[in-house]
Amino acid sequence: MERELIVSGIGGQGIQLLAKTLALAATREGRYAMLSADYGGEMRGGPSKASVVVGDEPLRALPVLPSAWSAILAHHRFSESIVDRIRPGGPVVVNSKLVDTSVLRADLVVHPVDAGAIAVEVASAQAVGFVLLGAYNEVTHMVSNEALVAAMTELLPPYRRQHAPANARALAAGAAALAGVA
Amino acid sequence: MSRELLEGSAAIAESAIAAGCRFFAGYPMSPFTGLLENMSQRLPAAGGVCINAESEIEGVNMTLGAAAAGFRAATGSCGQGIALMQEAIAEAALNETPFVVFNMARSQQDYFQCTRGGGWGDYRTITLAPADVPEAVEHTQLAFHLADKHRAPVIVYGDPLIAQTRVGVSIGRRDFGPVPAKDWALDGSTSGTGRSKQVWTWAMGKATEPGPGPDKHWRAIADKFDAIEPLEQRHEQEHCADAETLVVAFGSAGKFVAYVVDELRAEGHKVGWFRPVTLWPFPGPALEAAAASARRVLVFELNAGQMVDDVRLNVPDRRRVQRIGGVSISESGLTYGELMDAPIIRQRILEAVR
Repeated sequence: MERELIVSGIGGQGIQLLAKTLALAATREGRYAMLSADYGGEMRGGPSKASVVVGDEPLRALPVLPSAWSAILAHHRFSESIVDRIRPGGPVVVNSKLVDTSVLRADLVVHPVDAGAIAVEVASAQAVGFVLLGAYNEVTHMVSNEALVAAMTELLPPYRRQHAPANARALAAGAAALAGVA
Repeated sequence: MSRELLEGSAAIAESAIAAGCRFFAGYPMSPFTGLLENMSQRLPAAGGVCINAESEIEGVNMTLGAAAAGFRAATGSCGQGIALMQEAIAEAALNETPFVVFNMARSQQDYFQCTRGGGWGDYRTITLAPADVPEAVEHTQLAFHLADKHRAPVIVYGDPLIAQTRVGVSIGRRDFGPVPAKDWALDGSTSGTGRSKQVWTWAMGKATEPGPGPDKHWRAIADKFDAIEPLEQRHEQEHCADAETLVVAFGSAGKFVAYVVDELRAEGHKVGWFRPVTLWPFPGPALEAAAASARRVLVFELNAGQMVDDVRLNVPDRRRVQRIGGVSISESGLTYGELMDAPIIRQRILEAVR
């Protein structure tokens, strides 16, 4: 079975890194993964989107997804076109302080997480993407938590290795925020 | 073999090196830049040379030189930069120097450039159009094989989706069978012996050892491309036997069309798809057979109508051919516009079928 995730946020929230982390974790687990990134010239504040597809067999999915099973919405800006493509019943992890969940379609299963506050509490504001990823993986079980931590660590360049423990705490705190939900 | 999560550009670079490519030269231009960067990072470790040239013209001519010395060599750009390389590509086709040109294109507007070429003389360029990253990995190695097999430049026609999508792929050396020994290579082995070798478009030879001359040589080249044409045609197709509507598309667009047509088939529409894998030689006889029962042949390409010419030349009745694609470029001009999207393709096919 192929499962698709669309991630939408703004530049600076760690959207691209969280998507890459999930795709790498799935690859390291021996599964098939595809990662498509879409971001503008602006590094901070501009639209930042990514999609990840994971499956147990060679993927049929297109690099531009016509629809997706699930989503992570990190910011309300630029997210409308993404929300339209989430299939009914799909889990949607939402950064609750920045996305107004009341305007989301009623046929989605929305999981609000105050990722900004959690990130500041256990790590730093920059770790908001990993909080959302930890929360997402808790409700979807896309990959093992160990694989996520290993992929996050592998992706850090040598001059940022010191952030690995904080990022791991962010992943765990995100998962804890939605523990027992699904 | 375990899979690595690689961006298309990195996967193609690894595949080229696995195929034995040891020389690469090019000039950065998006979305080709990623391939040049990956080559510059990976090729030296494999004992090869990667040069960031001062222009596309320099890049392609350096590649021609390395290939003439007998090495597996490649260059690349997007269509805008490959426009500058046309003279060298034509020369290489006419003086039989094998190398690979990667067109990591911004869209599908280089079909004519790839299949008709912009140089002078009677030559063709074998062009492989992969539909996704795994196929691009395969085509990269096939391209080096075909270049050596036929002593001719070969083009791999990619796009931004192939260059930039990250996919779990395994890269190993593919075996496509033996290729002729490069006894023609200017490798310096006969220097000073009076038997030095020559690679020359006019093939006039030396005073002591005259060559066949341009008339004989160019007729032989034309015969060679005539022989390649039926030999190297490749395509994929599905649901064609009873299709009332056949949709033809190449490259990434072919993957999108196949996805949409498979869905429409499952819903009961009598639709089939056909994807030329080689753009030259165009798989004309296969298309003719696939279109036999079709009342309409739809061509989806992201340009103003280029491959449609080859489709019209090969279907039983060209009046059945209809274009459903068009020019579609992002605001940046560097990648596809909104037309490369399954829901829009679906809508266009359904409009044509109604």
